Amino acid sequence: MINLRRWNARSEDNMKKSISLTIVLVLTLSLFAGCSKKEDGKVTIGIGQFAEHGSLDNCRKGFLAGLEEEGYIENENLNILYENAQADGGTSTQIATNFAAKKVDLIAAIATPMAQSAYGVSKKANIPVIFTAVTDPVLAELAKEDGTPNGNITGTSDKLPVEQQLEMIRSILPDAKKIGILYSTSEINSTSAIKEYKAKAADYGFEIIEGGISTTADIPLAADNLLGKVDCLTNLTDNTVVSSLPTILDKANKKGIPVFGSEIEQVKIGCLAAMGLDYYELGIQTGKMAAKILKGESKASEMNFEIIKEAKFYGNTAVAKNLGITLPDNMVDSAAQMFDTIAQ
Amino acid sequence: MAEFLVFLFNFILGVLEEGFAYAIMALGVYITYKILDFPDLSVDGTFPLGGAVAVVLIIAGVNPVLTLFISFLAGALAGTIAGLIHVKLKVRDLFSGIIMMTALYSINLRIAGKSNVAIFSKDTIFENSFLEKYIPDSLKPYITVILLFIIILILKLILDFYLNTKSGYLLRAIGDNPTLVTSLAVDKGKIKIIGLALANGFVALSGAIYCQKSGFFEISMGTGTMTIGLASVIIGTNLFRKVSFIKSTTAVIIGSLLYKLCVSIAISLGMPASDLKLITAILFLGILVISNDRKRKVKSNA
Repeated sequence: MINLRRWNARSEDNMKKSISLTIVLVLTLSLFAGCSKKEDGKVTIGIGQFAEHGSLDNCRKGFLAGLEEEGYIENENLNILYENAQADGGTSTQIATNFAAKKVDLIAAIATPMAQSAYGVSKKANIPVIFTAVTDPVLAELAKEDGTPNGNITGTSDKLPVEQQLEMIRSILPDAKKIGILYSTSEINSTSAIKEYKAKAADYGFEIIEGGISTTADIPLAADNLLGKVDCLTNLTDNTVVSSLPTILDKANKKGIPVFGSEIEQVKIGCLAAMGLDYYELGIQTGKMAAKILKGESKASEMNFEIIKEAKFYGNTAVAKNLGITLPDNMVDSAAQMFDTIAQ
Repeated sequence: MAEFLVFLFNFILGVLEEGFAYAIMALGVYITYKILDFPDLSVDGTFPLGGAVAVVLIIAGVNPVLTLFISFLAGALAGTIAGLIHVKLKVRDLFSGIIMMTALYSINLRIAGKSNVAIFSKDTIFENSFLEKYIPDSLKPYITVILLFIIILILKLILDFYLNTKSGYLLRAIGDNPTLVTSLAVDKGKIKIIGLALANGFVALSGAIYCQKSGFFEISMGTGTMTIGLASVIIGTNLFRKVSFIKSTTAVIIGSLLYKLCVSIAISLGMPASDLKLITAILFLGILVISNDRKRKVKSNA
């Protein structure tokens, strides 16, 4: 009996040992695999994206397209290391640290927290950083007040065209008085956009009613509450809210309240209209800036950050029909894109 | 090969920086989870609390070193309140932590003023005119890791020392044998509150250092802190359970480094971050399974 127990313990011990040995081996081997070899003549860009949603994905696709236009083609003369932080601040810092360890030629950071992580790391490693989809680079201390870089970092901003959006809502809904905005208190891009909306709403005869949330779980209640008080909703580029847009649209549709978007993807899935940015275009613009840095034509520390000045009109005629609203002809004629279906 | 070595060196440097910064928090979790046997969820709130206090003070022009002490005190205060809720209001340990964590989300936003505050252009403990002047250029890339190492060493020694004082003994006794403490005519609640205050002080200090290292505060930085802390504590204490000359505090620090190493390798492999948590879970499980046998053997022999 005793012998059996001892034997059991020993075999269990051996199993444990082999498990731990396997783990150690796998980890060591994987480290070798993880090391990217720099091939001659190829440049390596580490793309760190903060979260996974349509706008940011478009940004990344546009970025690659912009690089391609300038002669940097993925897998030909360009290596791309792509990582997504899944909206986790700690992960984004580690992604940036890893890029620095791999000595990439350039770090491309998509969205504010990723850009800040990359900037914090690259300062020491002296790797240029290019950012995109950062709403307020000055507030994020990525650029100085006058728009000049705050180090070896530059990029593009996705600041919302607030006034043009308000103007558009006014011409589509001549009688509306109150605009509701849902936003997460944890996202700095939203808080600064809310401030601007509040400052400018009165010029167009609107009042802004805000609904702050802290997690996705708060959205249904906050949306119900807000929908009871307002004539229409408008969206920011708030990551949490945009991710739950279908829920909000569903509730709004039941009450016949129009929801305005802030960019093309939102109109595609059921917002009435938007004066918005095309994140793909923003990405292209960023890609071209990156190419300049890679070619040595300019340094990140010498280029001011750029914004897209011209917002474009996007409309969804299927949504308009459901709501019984007609979109003004002049807007439809000048639209960048009109949708006649609601994508699921 | 040479290139690989350079990569490896930088890679490890990155892991050390991250691991040391989080190790301070892990020491806090060690106090509550291992010593007090108290599942303290307020950690997810006190980590960013330390960060918020530090960045706001740094922007106000307070000396970055001084902000560390104030952050520690802020964390200790939060820990004290969590303790009071548990002891005086007789709320279950798990709930008092959850209540504190939830409340701290709003409080942190209030303190910071907004959800993201950057201090890239300000002096921090890692980047200031003093270091600029007296540290030779060749040492500069390593200054962060050196400073972090010194800080964690000091904190570890202080904690080791404290755990050997009378108050420290009582703290350890409470997790193992609460009746003993009562029989010594010592107020159990008071000791628990002291432990929570100390633990959350460490966690907030860790948050303050992390913000100064990365150059910005972000309200969501606390999410998952508890998991990282627990993983570090369990990895460290379980791996070195048999090695008697390594103190638990040292083991926790090594655990934090190992945890960050694993995450870093996973990222380095180009693993999508969506799978990252799964990898962590598998590793976590692996280590628990490996170390479990000793416990089982003890029981079967008893």
